[in-house]
Amino acid sequence: MFSMFRPDPRTRATWRWGGALAAILILQSLVLAAIFWVTANGNHRRAIEHTLLDDCSFFALTPPAERAEELRERLARDIHRERFLALFDAHGRRIAGNVATMPVLPAGTGASIVAPVAPTELPGKTSDVARLTLCPLSDGTRLLSGMDLDDTEEALRLTWQSLLFGLLPGLVLALGVGLVAGRRAARQVDTMRLLTERIVSGDLAQRLPVPARPDSFGLLCAHINTMLDRLQMLVADVRGIGDDIAHQLRTPLTRLRAGLERGLREAQDRAGFERVIDRSLAEIDGLLGIVAALLRLRELEDGARRSRFAPVDLTRLVEDACELHRPVAEDRGIHLHCNCVPVPPIDGDASLLIEAVANLIDNAMKFGPPGGTVTVRLLLDAGMPVIAIADQGDGVPPAERSLVTQRFYRVRIEGSGAGLGLALVKAIVDLHGFALGFAPQGSAVTIRCGRTGY
Amino acid sequence: MTQILLLEDDPGTADEIRLELAAAGHGVHHRATLAAAAEAVRAGGIDLLIVDRQLPDGEGLDLIAALRADGFRTPALVLSALGSLDDRVRGLRAGGDDYLPKPFALVELLARVEALLRRPDERRDTRLIVGPLDLDLLEGKASRAGRPLDLLPRELKLLDYLVRRPGRIVTRSMLLQDVWGYSFEPNSNVVDVHIGRLRRKVDGEGELQLIRNVRGQGYVFDVPA
Repeated sequence: MFSMFRPDPRTRATWRWGGALAAILILQSLVLAAIFWVTANGNHRRAIEHTLLDDCSFFALTPPAERAEELRERLARDIHRERFLALFDAHGRRIAGNVATMPVLPAGTGASIVAPVAPTELPGKTSDVARLTLCPLSDGTRLLSGMDLDDTEEALRLTWQSLLFGLLPGLVLALGVGLVAGRRAARQVDTMRLLTERIVSGDLAQRLPVPARPDSFGLLCAHINTMLDRLQMLVADVRGIGDDIAHQLRTPLTRLRAGLERGLREAQDRAGFERVIDRSLAEIDGLLGIVAALLRLRELEDGARRSRFAPVDLTRLVEDACELHRPVAEDRGIHLHCNCVPVPPIDGDASLLIEAVANLIDNAMKFGPPGGTVTVRLLLDAGMPVIAIADQGDGVPPAERSLVTQRFYRVRIEGSGAGLGLALVKAIVDLHGFALGFAPQGSAVTIRCGRTGY
Repeated sequence: MTQILLLEDDPGTADEIRLELAAAGHGVHHRATLAAAAEAVRAGGIDLLIVDRQLPDGEGLDLIAALRADGFRTPALVLSALGSLDDRVRGLRAGGDDYLPKPFALVELLARVEALLRRPDERRDTRLIVGPLDLDLLEGKASRAGRPLDLLPRELKLLDYLVRRPGRIVTRSMLLQDVWGYSFEPNSNVVDVHIGRLRRKVDGEGELQLIRNVRGQGYVFDVPA
């Protein structure tokens, strides 16, 4: 039968909550009872012992001849019939009192113990439990003094009963609260489950409800929402990149196809075909360049290349970059000015860093005014090497500075290039944990070669 | 005729490479699996290996490592799909002698194959006399048929590199890697401009052209007959 009963996993929460609360209540009751027991018992015992010792001292002062009479009088005054008093002679035979036989007790210590006694005057009772003490008197007789414990037992039973009866509504309450709390948790989880199902099926715009004053569950929901925001952004990014790539490749591919078609139609001789093929090869190289740059971007963003970092002499690197570009600059009538101070070596990948610097120099030569000066400087700012590259133009318009490092973004539409250069520079700089910056005025682009943490 | 073993599982790529290498006068033996390639190399007579990375029966680098472990010193060029720059390091560590990421131009492949087949004379002669050229590396001077060439240090290094590889195509990335010491693809024609200047200094007016531009891909230093 049990196999047919498939419990809903969510009801488990209910039972767990209820069970835990009930367990706490039961524990609480037990502790309470124990404390009551210990305290009440202790007080009661002290009171009884006081009475018993009083009896002993009273009878010790009473002349031996009057003791039996006194004892009978005392018993007569005990209307609740809760006292046990008896005098025994040296052989343990009863002289007077309401206890038939002398129990075996440690005598003379003043200590009291709980033991059964045989009452003589209680109808229908041959044994009873009492707290007793046995005091030796001066003439060799012994006084047994005791107090019936029936009342105490009754009081304790009442205590237990009231605690038990009190526990019942507590348990019901605990299960009820557990049920409500469990239901509530199950409802929250249900909301989340339904939502995640919709997200899994592709609806990334869904968000979890977060109350104005969130509890820990609300905070979790808020966190999940943040995660969804990021996920949605990344997905949009990926879609955008896919569109961008398709668009970027379509234009040169169309051009390539048109060129080949025209060449096939119009080329007359070998030289004509060669020209067509040369143009096509150049187009294809451009396309491969875009693909390679994209793959490199992805790879740089992975960060795996950090494993190849080694100390890099930035001074030499920047001077090499200048030297590499000087002939091009001279051909274009641009004055390339290079100014390097010695800096301590930094950890990095020299080939990547020179690629970044080369890209920036290239941009400066391309976008600066014709016939102007491009300045490449390596300086120390607060102990941190900074590479700064500036032309005499206005630089990237401030509004576009956050955009230029994105893939395929071009400040000037008519310019050549696929708009991947600065994205590569940014990726290289990020890989090193350096910072790419734009001067507030003018065209200077800086790479601060200090760890900003990654 | 040099015998080259090509281990490549894509038939299209393999055909293109075979045609290119055959046109340059090399014998090409194409194999598509590690096992077949290993057998061919152990049979002997192979001067160079061109090895793709991902093959149906395993990793091309493993073959190179296994052959190196058995004492085969045959130079090996590793091909691989672009995607990880660290591949280059791994390729060279496994015993490959050069590394070419896909996609590559066939001319680049040919240039690297020839570079591997005829390892340049690495004796660091301080004086090189080739044809009309006289390079004194110690003094940092060069002359052509007695006419002193006013070369910058980098230009002298470029000329040195070209002169040590006569008749062979030297690509831009080879120059950038070996003369400047950086491996990256510049997005402008920086290397071309350097070579252009060197050519204007070396090949004076009316003189035989020693440095030839191979359109699209690189340069060749032609030894005068």
